[in-house]
Amino acid sequence: MMSDSATPALLVPPSTVVLVSGGSRGLGLAIVNDLLESGLKVAAFARTVTPELAKLADVQPDRSYVDSVDVTDLAATQAFVRAAEGRLGPIDGLVNNAAVGQDSLHVHTATADIARIIETNLTAPLQLTRLVVRRMLAQGRRGRIVNVTSICAQRGFPGLVAYSATKGGMDAATRSLARELGGRMLVNAVAPGFFASEMSAVLGQTQLDQIVRRTPTGHLTEPAEVVPVVRLLLRDQTNINGQAIVVDGAASS
Amino acid sequence: MTQLTRARIRDLMGQVLENQGRVLPDDDGADLREVGFRSLDFSELALRVEDETGQELNFDAPGLRRIATVGDVLDFLVELHRQ
Repeated sequence: MMSDSATPALLVPPSTVVLVSGGSRGLGLAIVNDLLESGLKVAAFARTVTPELAKLADVQPDRSYVDSVDVTDLAATQAFVRAAEGRLGPIDGLVNNAAVGQDSLHVHTATADIARIIETNLTAPLQLTRLVVRRMLAQGRRGRIVNVTSICAQRGFPGLVAYSATKGGMDAATRSLARELGGRMLVNAVAPGFFASEMSAVLGQTQLDQIVRRTPTGHLTEPAEVVPVVRLLLRDQTNINGQAIVVDGAASS
Repeated sequence: MTQLTRARIRDLMGQVLENQGRVLPDDDGADLREVGFRSLDFSELALRVEDETGQELNFDAPGLRRIATVGDVLDFLVELHRQ
């Protein structure tokens, strides 16, 4: 095997054109909004383009490209990437955010649902990452990848077995990809704790109250608290690479 | 597919509790916390129902959180079995 050692002096520049999967609501939408406000160009897709995402795109037509794409549809994601690059220029940042949740005990989860969770949360982001990295490498570009994972990747929670497996898989892929790309790309994961809004249905109020009690900062994570970390990993000059950064107020510490 | 009656599901629920040295009260309104019937006991019961019917029962967790009494357990499984 050829040497895989990094080329030392060349740094990975801040991302300027970022692809965000699952950008239509929640954290994904907040990331799209923040990156546009920061002056970046943003390509975002989701299964359904919500009015909120469409509005963001309307406000910044020259710096945004959005479309309705199912992340598990490889041909559609390929077409989206080509179209986005045609509109915005070469992609040099990727945020793998699209995912489906789970709210069922493992023994009572249909096998088809387990397959769907793995396909959406693990296979699809790996495929999308491969696609984007291939394009960046082929054109000699450097770039940054941020995988949105979860505290579930590191701590156990009932009702989230398959989901946790996919998030743990993405944390593991983050580390290996950072190694594999030898410093030409920075690859990191951001692992939020439970959001007050979207995840509350998963755990139930009793469990959420318990998490809040055990959280030194006294509150569940908000998307607005995760967004700056994603931006930092995409934009700032740091040597952070191959890490999963937990944003949960030390609930899990 | 074998059809299970509510009474048969009640028998199975009684077996789950009996294996743990507990007794299923006759009153359908009995509170599950007082009976000591926990979520994994519910899973065990659902799997016993599956064994008898040959039909896999899949369901999400939120529905379970509304279950508070013995009657709720039976209603949930009868309805799930019927679907």
